[in-house]
Amino acid sequence: MRQGASVRLRRDLIALAVIATAYLGASAFVSNSYYQLILTMVPIWAVFGVSWNILSGYGGQLSFGHASFFGIGAYTVTLALVYWDLTPWLGIPLGMLAGAVAAVLIGLPTFRLRGHYFALAMLAYPLAILYVMQYLGFQEMSLPMHRAHPVAYLAFTDPHWYTVTAVGLLIAGTLACMLVENSRFGLALLAIRQNELAAEAAGLNSRLWKMRALIVSGMIAAAAGGLYACVLLVVTPDSVFGMLVSAQAVVVTLFGGVAAVWGPIIGAAILVPLAESLNAELGNYLPGIQGVVYGAAMIIIMLAAPEGLYWTLRDRWFRRALPPPAPLAAATPAPRVAGVHSGGPLLEVVGLSRSFGGLRAVSEVSFAVTEGEILGIIGPNGAGKTTLFNVLNGVLTADDGSATLAGESMLGRKVHQVCRMGVARTFQVVRSFPRLPLLDNVIVGAYGAGLPDHTAVDAAVGALARVGLHRQAGTLAGQLTNKQLRLMELARGLAGRPRLLLLDETLAGLGRDECDEVLDVLARLRDDGMTVVIIEHTMHAMMRIADRFLVLDHGRVLASGLPRDVVENRSVIEAYLGKKWLARQNA
Amino acid sequence: MLEVLSLSVAYGGLRALTDVSLTVAEGQFVTVVGPNGAGKSTLFKAICGIVPVMNGRISFRGNDLGARAASERAHLGIAHVPEGRQVFKTLTVRENLEMGAYTKAGRAQWRHTLERIHALFPILHERAHQLAGTLSGGEQQMLAVGRGLASAPKLLMLDEPSMGLAPAVADLIFERISQIHREDGVTILLVEQRVAEALELSDHGYVLETGHMVLDGPYETLLADDRVRRSYLGLTGA
Amino acid sequence: MAGSSPAMTIKGGERKPVDFEVLIENVLNALAAGITIGCIYGLMCIGLGLIFGVMKIVNFAQGELLMLGMFASLYLVTGGGVLAFLGPYIGPFVGAICAGPIVFAGGALLHKFLISRVSGLRTTGTQDEGHFGQLVITLGISLILQNGGLILFGSTPQTVRTPLASRAFEIGPVYGDATVFLNKARLIACAVAIVVAIALYLLLEYTRLGKALRAAADNPTAATYMGINVDRAYRIAFGIGSGITAIAGGLMATYLSFGPFVGFDYVIIMYSGVVLGGMGSILGAFWGGLTVGFVQQCSALVLPPQLQNAAIFVVFLLIIMLRPQGLFGRSAERA
Repeated sequence: MRQGASVRLRRDLIALAVIATAYLGASAFVSNSYYQLILTMVPIWAVFGVSWNILSGYGGQLSFGHASFFGIGAYTVTLALVYWDLTPWLGIPLGMLAGAVAAVLIGLPTFRLRGHYFALAMLAYPLAILYVMQYLGFQEMSLPMHRAHPVAYLAFTDPHWYTVTAVGLLIAGTLACMLVENSRFGLALLAIRQNELAAEAAGLNSRLWKMRALIVSGMIAAAAGGLYACVLLVVTPDSVFGMLVSAQAVVVTLFGGVAAVWGPIIGAAILVPLAESLNAELGNYLPGIQGVVYGAAMIIIMLAAPEGLYWTLRDRWFRRALPPPAPLAAATPAPRVAGVHSGGPLLEVVGLSRSFGGLRAVSEVSFAVTEGEILGIIGPNGAGKTTLFNVLNGVLTADDGSATLAGESMLGRKVHQVCRMGVARTFQVVRSFPRLPLLDNVIVGAYGAGLPDHTAVDAAVGALARVGLHRQAGTLAGQLTNKQLRLMELARGLAGRPRLLLLDETLAGLGRDECDEVLDVLARLRDDGMTVVIIEHTMHAMMRIADRFLVLDHGRVLASGLPRDVVENRSVIEAYLGKKWLARQNA
Repeated sequence: MLEVLSLSVAYGGLRALTDVSLTVAEGQFVTVVGPNGAGKSTLFKAICGIVPVMNGRISFRGNDLGARAASERAHLGIAHVPEGRQVFKTLTVRENLEMGAYTKAGRAQWRHTLERIHALFPILHERAHQLAGTLSGGEQQMLAVGRGLASAPKLLMLDEPSMGLAPAVADLIFERISQIHREDGVTILLVEQRVAEALELSDHGYVLETGHMVLDGPYETLLADDRVRRSYLGLTGA
Repeated sequence: MAGSSPAMTIKGGERKPVDFEVLIENVLNALAAGITIGCIYGLMCIGLGLIFGVMKIVNFAQGELLMLGMFASLYLVTGGGVLAFLGPYIGPFVGAICAGPIVFAGGALLHKFLISRVSGLRTTGTQDEGHFGQLVITLGISLILQNGGLILFGSTPQTVRTPLASRAFEIGPVYGDATVFLNKARLIACAVAIVVAIALYLLLEYTRLGKALRAAADNPTAATYMGINVDRAYRIAFGIGSGITAIAGGLMATYLSFGPFVGFDYVIIMYSGVVLGGMGSILGAFWGGLTVGFVQQCSALVLPPQLQNAAIFVVFLLIIMLRPQGLFGRSAERA
């Protein structure tokens, strides 16, 4: 559980209980069966939205085909009832199981796709299933009535009980969502959504987390579909696999608030009654008004409030009521990074090469970094510095050569595996979770290293202390200054307790004083025994902090050694200032 | 011709340029040098209208550029040869040049300009119908310069034309640029990392460091000034 | 849905000699249908190819643009429409072509007010290139057009009737009694499609406007340096892409019956065609569409109608997973 989770959970659960009770209380007074049906459908669509929210809201994997799971749930319940006389009370869990299996089958091939291809592929699945179902002859299926023991078969004579069941399902789904949000699951998903590469570099196995999200999402969606079948008593392929169904999950959550527990509930509460009553009033003159409403809602919300009503309102009105910074345990002193060979080489790179077509981006690069030293990698634009990091990090494969960390090879591993070896890497563009406190931003690094919850908090707090930000642990990341964001990025890497830091242009764009502060932090880290390799262009800063320089030009090592020596080196000067300059100086 | 006054640009929360001023008179060859991250490209992007300006004024031949949209500026006579060449990879060499001549001035003088471009860079004539993305780095740079010339500009701005090129190729490019300046009388504003090559060709030079203009003067003065070297190699203590 | 030729399913287990002739006839007719309909699909895919392949804008509503083309042609040519005087032989095809500019205008408006907010220079360089916004907004547009269409046009299936649809050129007999029937309406539609495709190709390859459009799609920043108004270029390209698909719709209207939700069936076909043909290539989009149409018609020999579309989806999934660069992708990179 995340820091402060129990407080948030208690508050949210109470709110949920209050709202649910009020809703059920109000619905008890509704005698018109059509209105009661609307009251039943709101929580069903809301919980369907919750399922979508987990994968696409928190996880950022935009799916336009959640109807697959919805329909699978609906048909499992229906077919089980028709052919095996299985009560929906068992049929729905069975449907959830089918949904989980479908999630795995769909996820395995589809997660290899990115962005819009993923969305289009997800769209294709329910449509394909729809056609298959039509072909198999399941055109319209009615759920048989059980007059003898209706309740045992999830059939109620008083429609109010359907509403109760639906609210119960919504509570269960929302609870699941709350648990996800408040655990490392939620943070991992947010990190992946934010920047999948950086999440991997922090140690998160993004494939695994995305699959988990899809399975949970699929199960909840299937449950919603199953209950839907019980309520409507008629199932057609189009009504559960159709595009409008997938669209409902999307609209309801987008409108209400993405990646927020309350989002789908708000969205459903507003849109479903609106669309349904418009349909009822005007449906005769304007058939299809429902679709128009949903379409318009999507467009308006995308242009006006792309993150949904919940966030827009919260940002605007509740700015004052910030959650107080959670009281932290006294910062534990940073454990001294234990070295395998104290003073020996930690990172050894031999003959590393990487080409893109004909261009040799990194060419026969060899160097070693001893433990506890800061190596500065410099070189003119396009020299291959970031490519070198990408190869070391696992983002790119090496064509040739070797790279070992304390004797173990770093090459041929996935990004998160390299991180688990003890390598932390920062990126040039720092993205934070602006609405979350600094501590939550940093703790992702600890989760990535596989630390259990309690240790992770300690590690994160310790990391913040090392960069000097422990007093801002509760500040929302959106309010941090540039310098603080860079330090946050550094702390995120430190939270995984690495042995090696790869820093990519950490000082870019900082003013003189800010630069000095960050340099002090780096110096302290080095004194504590951390090994750092840093790419930088701000030369005056590098001169002060680096123990040694490595100069790259056109992918090759031009020079290496003490800063003072390297800077006087003729070939280095030539690389930076040009041949003619050198010639002139000597003339 | 071009006047930049107290320009300040910030984006992504970073101060890229602070209070930068420079002037380019008609017919001059002006160079801006400076280490990486100094803001040289940002300066060009601001002149072309790609990045928003926080403070300051840019005027070109009496026109206040702040009032002009980015795509209008080429029609005023400014040609920009961007950093990294940025050729249209899916168009042929000839089509790239035609795009350069999108402006009215460019189209009016197309015949003449095309001949001139072919004279300067014969390889562009040889590879006229090849896709630009298949050219080598040096060839793409030549294409980018040719494309800039194709608009028959009053001011030709070149952003780090030597980047990523082998020294011999870079030298050739510089030679051609100098030729264009001398023979066609085009006003040139050049941004470069290779200080001596760039300054040698120019009338006037500016040194940019972390968003500030720190030095300027005629090229002999700058070449003799050790502050330039120190600025590049981080030895300035200030 | 998929205008199938008078295909006669092969009865399994009864292998009489004369059935072989029937088989040949079925196959030949399927091939003929495949090519003619394939060309129309090819035109349809060019429209999406321009928008998705070249401009990299994910447009969910492309199927609805197809639908609008069908209805535009319908209202132009039948009843009190302005082109009704042309009669049922020429009218439907001229109507199809005239649907183009109408939907061009509609597409340009959509771009101006909605789509430009989530594409082009505004989103170059962002993490997902604006695709999320494009997906959502075009999904919204799709819903509005479908259901709005239901309100405006009603749900009765329509066709742009032409007597040519029930006449055919007969070729043969080519083998025994086997004859190839070339449906006249489809043949003319196919010819029109090819002509329009060629016209568009010429526009894009050889005119200043076409080159500017390609340049703007290739590198919007550099295009701005050239003095090209990228926003306007995208708007025109989007309009053309819409109009082209609409013309294809108008042509399809002569042999299909359609309603407001018809676009839905064709979205995946269009994406399959564009991806198969290779992103960024107009010619590729045409070939991709042709191939998909061809496969669909030939699959009518062995698959029942409902599964034909499911088969297309499976093909689409296989393509994007195994060979997302397509068959004819324009490889302009020096790697």
